[in-house]
Amino acid sequence: MNAPTQPAWNDLQATPAFAVLTLDGRKWLVPQAEIRALESLLDIDREVRIPHSVGAVAFAGEWWPVYSLSGELALLPNLPDGRRACPLLDNGMDRFGLVCDQVETLPEPPRRLAVPACMALPDSPIQALVLLKDGLGCVTTTERLAALLAAATENADG
Amino acid sequence: MAESTAWVLALDQQLRAAVGEREMVHLIEAPTLLEVPRSPFYCRQVLVWNDAVLPAMDLAAWLRRQPTHRAQTLVGVFAYQTRPGADPEYGALLLASIPMRASVTDEQACALPQQPDDWRTLAISCFKQNNQPIPILDLPHIFGGGLL
Repeated sequence: MNAPTQPAWNDLQATPAFAVLTLDGRKWLVPQAEIRALESLLDIDREVRIPHSVGAVAFAGEWWPVYSLSGELALLPNLPDGRRACPLLDNGMDRFGLVCDQVETLPEPPRRLAVPACMALPDSPIQALVLLKDGLGCVTTTERLAALLAAATENADG
Repeated sequence: MAESTAWVLALDQQLRAAVGEREMVHLIEAPTLLEVPRSPFYCRQVLVWNDAVLPAMDLAAWLRRQPTHRAQTLVGVFAYQTRPGADPEYGALLLASIPMRASVTDEQACALPQQPDDWRTLAISCFKQNNQPIPILDLPHIFGGGLL
């Protein structure tokens, strides 16, 4: 099961603001504080190829790898039509960019609902579900996305 | 002779199962189901019900080990307790038709069906109705993550 521990759940409930990253129409929420910058796709240098990335963005004196994920968070080798923004995610440990259809800030913190136990796969990046005006959103974190990317790149290399 | 009442559920066109009379609390035709990414193939959607998000499970898909196509959607909302005295928890099952009420006696007890071969994971017991075995679902196990 993937139910968050009580401290993790408390941390999640205490997160004051979330950004909504739209990928193929699916809404993924990350803590607003983990979005370091919002870059344009034009800023991605496709020649800087970190394995399994679609390029990199130069920001704050460093190259940040940029990844492309499907709405189901499968690693993609290209940029699907409709991707228009590239938030740079940074939690102090993990730093990378993620090409998205759209990035929005929620005006108010949403009510976070636990993922039903029977749906929580062991490697799921989903921490909680939220009901948005236009459907369901899945709460995740930069740490969980980084773990998913690490697993996906390892599988791709394997 | 102890007699109790059950709801017989059509999990698909062939598969039948039952729950206790008080376990089914609501039936919704053509519900709005919301897709949850990266979830098991047999439980890809949730139902928003009474301000809660309930898993909408397709037990026929789990038993047949492949997603099922449904021309129409009908879901039942079911209540269960994880331990005596606990607050009820809720989950939804995808159904193929309106459940049928049935009276069941101890004399109808029978073995679980041999096929599909995973009934023992889902069911706590079984009774025979019109010569067909009807497994009784273990809802706390099913909705508590026992199928993962």
